[in-house]
Amino acid sequence: MAVSMAFKSDLLGAIPSLRAFAVSLSQNADKADDLVQETLVKAWDKHLSFQPGTNLKAWLFTILRNEFYSQMRKRGREVQDSDGIMTARLAVHPSQHGQLDLKDFRVALEQLPEDQREAIILIGASGFSYEEAAEICGCAVGTIKSRVSRARTRLQEILQISGEADFGPDAIAAQVMGSSAA
Amino acid sequence: MLREYEGEVVTMKKRDSDMPGATHSSSAMADPLGANSEIARKLKQYYDDLVSDDVPDRFADLLSQLERAEPARNKD
Repeated sequence: MAVSMAFKSDLLGAIPSLRAFAVSLSQNADKADDLVQETLVKAWDKHLSFQPGTNLKAWLFTILRNEFYSQMRKRGREVQDSDGIMTARLAVHPSQHGQLDLKDFRVALEQLPEDQREAIILIGASGFSYEEAAEICGCAVGTIKSRVSRARTRLQEILQISGEADFGPDAIAAQVMGSSAA
Repeated sequence: MLREYEGEVVTMKKRDSDMPGATHSSSAMADPLGANSEIARKLKQYYDDLVSDDVPDRFADLLSQLERAEPARNKD
C-alpha cells in the first residue's frame, strides 16, 4: 500500500484545523472547503515528500497556504475592493460591559491584510511556534513577530480596546510560560 | 535563546509591577500578541468556534476515493 492507513487517519484528524485556517484566510466558507479539498488531494499525491516524525500539521498548513495564494493570484485578487466597503460599513462600538462581541471580532479580522491575519492566526490560534509559522509562511521569524504585533495593534484600533492592562497582569502569563520553558 | 527569553521575563515582571502599562514596547518582541490580552482571548474563541464546526462527509469520502484509486498507480 502506497499510502499508509496512519497517514490517512492523520489527514482526517487534521481536517478541522485545516478548515479553520482556510476560513480564516479566505473569509468564505465555500472557498475554504474547496481549499481544504485541494490540500488533501495535494497532500495525498505528495505524501512521499512528507517525512514521518516531522510536523504533519505544519506541512498541511503550508500546502493550504500556498494553494490559497496561488488561487488568489489566478483570480487577480477580485476581493481587493471589499476592503474599502468593509471599512466604510464598519462601526464597532464596544458594548457597555466592554465585552467584545465575536461577530465584531470577525469583522475586524477581515480588515487585516492577509499576511497579518495569517500570522496572528497561526501564532494566536493554531498553536504554532514563531519558528513553525515562519516556515509555513516562508519568511523570517522576525517578520512573523512584527506582523503579529501590527495585527494586534490594528485589531485593538478597530475594536477600540486598549492593551492587556485591563485584563490582568501579563506578567503572570509570562511567568507561567517562562517556568514551563525552563 | 531560551536563556535570553527567561532573562527578559524577569525584567518584564519587575517593570510591570513598578509601572503597569508602560512595558509594551520592551516586551513586544518577546510576546507580540500578549498571551493574556483581550485580542488573544477573542482570537482563540473565534478559532475554536471554527475548529469545532462539524466536518462535512465530503472530506472522508474524498480520502476514501483517493485510497481506492491508489493501488492502480502504485509504483513500488
